[in-house]
Amino acid sequence: MFLSAAAVALALTAGFASSTALAQGKVLKFVSWQKDERGVGDWWGSVIKEFEATHPGVKIEWTKVERGAYADTMTTLFAGGKPPDIVHLASFEFQKFADNGWLEPLDGYIKDAKLDMKGWAGQDTCVFNKQIVCTMMLYFGYFLAYNEEMLRKEGLEVPKNYAEFLVAARKLTKDLNGDGIIDQFGTGHETKGGGGQYMSEMMNYTLDAGGRWSNDAGKVTIDTPEMVEGLSRWKTIVKDSLTPRDLAAGEVRQMFADGKIALKTDGPWLWPIIQKGKAKDQIKLAMSPFSPPVGGSSNVLGIASDIPKDNKKLVWDFIQIATSDKFQSSYATLGASPPPSPRADVSAASKETPHFDLLVQATKAAADAKVDRIPKGLELVFNEFAKMVMEESQRMIIQDLDPKIVAATMQRKAEALQKQ
Amino acid sequence: MPRAAFLDLARPSRRHWLGNLLLAPAVLLIGLIIVYPLFVSVDLSFQNVNIARLDQARRPFTTANYERLFASEDFWNACWVTFKLVIIVSTGCFLLGMATALLVNNRFKGQALARLLVALPWAVPEVIAVVIFAWLFDSSFGLMNWIFIKLGLVDTTINWFSSPSASFAVVCVVMIWKGYPFVSIMLLAGLQSIPEDFYNAARVDGASAWQRLLNITIPSLMPVLGVTLVLVMLWVFRDFSIIYVLTGGGPLKATQSLSIMTYEQAFGFFKMGYASAIGVITLIVCIIASRLMIARAPDTM
Repeated sequence: MFLSAAAVALALTAGFASSTALAQGKVLKFVSWQKDERGVGDWWGSVIKEFEATHPGVKIEWTKVERGAYADTMTTLFAGGKPPDIVHLASFEFQKFADNGWLEPLDGYIKDAKLDMKGWAGQDTCVFNKQIVCTMMLYFGYFLAYNEEMLRKEGLEVPKNYAEFLVAARKLTKDLNGDGIIDQFGTGHETKGGGGQYMSEMMNYTLDAGGRWSNDAGKVTIDTPEMVEGLSRWKTIVKDSLTPRDLAAGEVRQMFADGKIALKTDGPWLWPIIQKGKAKDQIKLAMSPFSPPVGGSSNVLGIASDIPKDNKKLVWDFIQIATSDKFQSSYATLGASPPPSPRADVSAASKETPHFDLLVQATKAAADAKVDRIPKGLELVFNEFAKMVMEESQRMIIQDLDPKIVAATMQRKAEALQKQ
Repeated sequence: MPRAAFLDLARPSRRHWLGNLLLAPAVLLIGLIIVYPLFVSVDLSFQNVNIARLDQARRPFTTANYERLFASEDFWNACWVTFKLVIIVSTGCFLLGMATALLVNNRFKGQALARLLVALPWAVPEVIAVVIFAWLFDSSFGLMNWIFIKLGLVDTTINWFSSPSASFAVVCVVMIWKGYPFVSIMLLAGLQSIPEDFYNAARVDGASAWQRLLNITIPSLMPVLGVTLVLVMLWVFRDFSIIYVLTGGGPLKATQSLSIMTYEQAFGFFKMGYASAIGVITLIVCIIASRLMIARAPDTM
């Protein structure tokens, strides 16, 4: 392990030597929303440290922008002609930037560096107009977190499929003090906020029912019996108040961590929240009862096309460090999350994080089933599509509409969006 | 002409130069931060552009954004939502603002504290106030549901933000709560400028409190009322953060005002040209509305 890490470091250093000579006194701009995130933020810090150590005279100016304002800020920076050199974007928003020609194609860089991206989780998402414009930095799979004590009190086993999940969710949704207000919910989903998150929450049920928003060719496939079944399931969960209503994702996670929700399907980021919650000792993890589990690409790294050639070369060096086996392995340890690289050594992470193997299993299950939050053929209109799906689903619940009619409406509207 | 004499700004014929020179930085600044972006925005609204970029070549002129806008149900819905908000919130702010202004204009024990409490919502940062209200009206654990159930007004919790009418009502409540102190402060200042002699003379003539309010207080307040009305209506018209944080424009676009629609099209869907067209229409409506109201205000005296 030590030898291979040393070899990688040596190779990277040698490779970077030529660009370093050209880059004395340079500052590369890197904007990210993950700067202060525990684990992942530390990992980015280590990549920057390595880059600066191997590129004397080159500094990285690392700025944090809140996720809520991120798309606005990046749009403004690009629109003003001052893009950051190192481009960090969410995987559902980079397409608009690529469509404007603002992201440098990476095919040539990958080829020259002989970077092996075979089996790299979620990397397909980075192909835009037949060109690779980014490298995927996180692909995740959902697992099930459950409150063992709540299940035990009701004599319930850990649910292994939707039917068992529904029974458990119903039994665990309770008004504990008889005041007419539900104090404990069977499960928890975000039903307020952005369309993207709303869609992800729904996908627990639509994917398990066999539904997909679109097929591999990018044709919309919402008006199908499988999607109708998935929508019916979502309607049941929300309309029967098995989940608290009108809460943002962060609030739902906190409620789960504090013991007010019994079952929660979520990604690797739930673990640090559980650790700080009141019900920390009662919570256990298992594979998601839904098959395939929700999964998806999360964030990408790219090069701004408008920056000087020397800077592009330096940013590529930065990407090479981030995608190297050494740093993909440390991503697993620091980020407590499976890295996208299939070559990463995750043995240390498995020892440190008790549920790491479960995360790997969940990620693999989602990746094998080619699950992604961004439907094929709808990438460029993803935000509008997600908003439409959220609104039509809300209409289904508020106006008690037949899921069959809702699926047909969604199909028609999605096709119209594709033709825009 | 000697150079020194030409630059002598103290000469009577050059004095206006000095004035212009001193005004120049302000004019330049206004031009840069108001007129130029306005020009860019109007220009963008006539181009088919997604993410705009200032250094890129101008796209061909088109009226497609406006054609699409006027044919869009969402636009007319946003106009209707904005109109309802302006009417309901402005009326609410005025009634509550007038009532509290009249109350704290009287001398009573604790008047200073009452004035402070009346003005307090104005001082609370908008986003913080909205987050507090979001929790008060939370569907699962909010205080309002608890109070309603305890009072026996409802037998089950209300999903405040899942119902179009309930969420619209919550937005109105928060906007009125946040906006009435401004009306109250403005009217209080107006009330204090009315000479006490007017009231004393009216009392001698046997005028009741109601008659004094109708015949002295309200007519004397008309100039202040006119300006305050314009400012409150414009605030409601363009307010973004209360609705965005509270409902995001939902559910089912029940609270989607023009400002929310503009933001969503620009930064949610990256349709800058289309968003600019909405912005231009909003600006035109604001100019017409304020011009009409400001022009009418003095006549009401």
